[in-house]
Amino acid sequence: MEFLMAALIGVMFAAGTYMILRPSLIRVVMGFVIYSNAANLLLITCGGYSADWASPFIGVSEGTLMDPLPPDIILTAIVISFAVSALLLTVAYRVYVDHDTDDPEKLPPDSLA
Amino acid sequence: MIILPVLVPFLTLVLLALLNGFPRLERAVNLASCVGLSAFVFWLLGEVDREGIQAMVVGGWFAPWGIAFVADRLACIMLCLSMSVGTLVLVYACFTAEPRQERYFFHPLFQVLLLGVNWSFITGDLFNLFVAYEVMLIGSYGMMMIGASKQQVRQTFKYIAINSIGSTLFVAACGLVYATLGTLNMADIAVRSAQLEGDRAALVTAVSMLLMVVFALKAAAFPIFFWLPDSYPIVPAGLNGYFAGLLTKVGVYSLLRLFVLCFRQPGAELVLDVLLVMSGFTMLFGVLGALCQWEVRKILSWHIISQVGYMVMGIGLAAAGADVALAAVSATIFYVVHHIVVKSSLFLIGGIADRISGTQQLKEMGGVIDLAPGVAALFLVAAFSLAGMPPFSGFFAKLVLIRAGLADGQFAIVLVSLITSLLTLYSMSKIWSYGFWRSSSHAAPLGRYRGMMVPTAVLVAFTVAMGVAVEPFIRLANDAARDVVDPRAYQEAVLVPVPAPAASLDAGEAGAR
Repeated sequence: MEFLMAALIGVMFAAGTYMILRPSLIRVVMGFVIYSNAANLLLITCGGYSADWASPFIGVSEGTLMDPLPPDIILTAIVISFAVSALLLTVAYRVYVDHDTDDPEKLPPDSLA
Repeated sequence: MIILPVLVPFLTLVLLALLNGFPRLERAVNLASCVGLSAFVFWLLGEVDREGIQAMVVGGWFAPWGIAFVADRLACIMLCLSMSVGTLVLVYACFTAEPRQERYFFHPLFQVLLLGVNWSFITGDLFNLFVAYEVMLIGSYGMMMIGASKQQVRQTFKYIAINSIGSTLFVAACGLVYATLGTLNMADIAVRSAQLEGDRAALVTAVSMLLMVVFALKAAAFPIFFWLPDSYPIVPAGLNGYFAGLLTKVGVYSLLRLFVLCFRQPGAELVLDVLLVMSGFTMLFGVLGALCQWEVRKILSWHIISQVGYMVMGIGLAAAGADVALAAVSATIFYVVHHIVVKSSLFLIGGIADRISGTQQLKEMGGVIDLAPGVAALFLVAAFSLAGMPPFSGFFAKLVLIRAGLADGQFAIVLVSLITSLLTLYSMSKIWSYGFWRSSSHAAPLGRYRGMMVPTAVLVAFTVAMGVAVEPFIRLANDAARDVVDPRAYQEAVLVPVPAPAASLDAGEAGAR
């Protein structure tokens, strides 16, 4: 299971990198979304998998308890990456409205240079 | 108690968001909060200096499990800088902020920034550090885009994109640290990594390398610095003083905290060696970038990069034996203090020069010395200090750093740092001779600037004071470095012995009922 997940995470990071390197703002946003999902999957995998582990309730569950920390961290990370990708998408749209293109190479030269 | 630097900005930002639309009231509340918190953090620094490290674990848990907040000397020094520079920048911004910016939540966003920066200094937990970074970054995204001109929007996209990719790597690194060490508490990381050996230690070094990339990105170290000169010039005048002073230094602080204090497995020096090489390139590329710019804010932004190189050099030198490491870390801390003060003041002076001459382009500026001799004097002091001329703080900062480098026998990096220092002086004299010297095309200053002089003069006075009365600052930097190089005091303060598990469980259940 871990090996399968590791392979999947690797593919997702590769896909995200490819998308981020494309000359298109919307693809950069999509690349970032893939990246953040890959990172969250990585966190889940770091917690480990086993069908024998019980839910983490002390005094209620029997046997080995699963580690509650990775899911806890992922919840926070999901909220943050959701908010940031929404913001990034909005900004990408504003750039498109301002300049009528989402190709960063076709943007007019920087006025500060 | 030590959580106040996080709590106060949070409550203030809620209040300020509600007060939006009443600019006078907002300014008063914002300033009162900043001044009050500044007083508190200076008191806290005194307290920590006398009594030792103070720690707090939230939520009724014990240290490796609960989220820890730790105030050691280094964290307190950074908090004092954050709050005092923040307060001065706010005073300055009261003279420069446009009504439109204040209507678009300038004041709440400013507190978000303070919240994130203070939080990342005081936290003792790696994942909590990530959250603090996000808060700080979201504040900076908002600030950068305030007003939303075409220029701002397109540069902010780059800034958000590069930083959010960095943050994703940060989350991934947190997971890998947890998987390899089984803890995210910084004091506990120091304990557990020191016990590792063989393959396990090498694995942790590899994971920590990923964290190093994240922090180097935030600190704008070579080769991931290119985002900085594009994004900082679009920050509203005044506020860019806070950005330039504090934001990249949060990255430097995290490098210092993680790689000197936390990761202690055999082979951890590898990361520091890589940092030392990176620091040389950072210095050189930063200053060379500055030399070919003709816009004041761009020149100053490139100098941030080159200065970050000096601080990273100090961290890299910490790989050597205990004595050299202590001297190097102490030099780094002193340099950070000097740099935050000087860099902020230079950006504020740049804003005043813009107000007087109506332009940021050096070739059109000219003659500020005729129109406003006081501003020229402030610039001269700050620029000399940045380049490292005695008797200002920059001279002593470079002196202690280079002595640490010579003690370690790293002559190449010392040579690079001296060349960089010379080129910095050249670059500053370019601003001086084009922007301040020549004759002016205006008969009088184009705008009112006297109010803006006050906070700037306070910062410049501080760099002079740090140079003239250098002893107490060096003493404080040495003491702060001792707690970072030797983690025992930090661990003892955070990892208090846990009471028997049964007792703590009963207490938890009683609390739940």
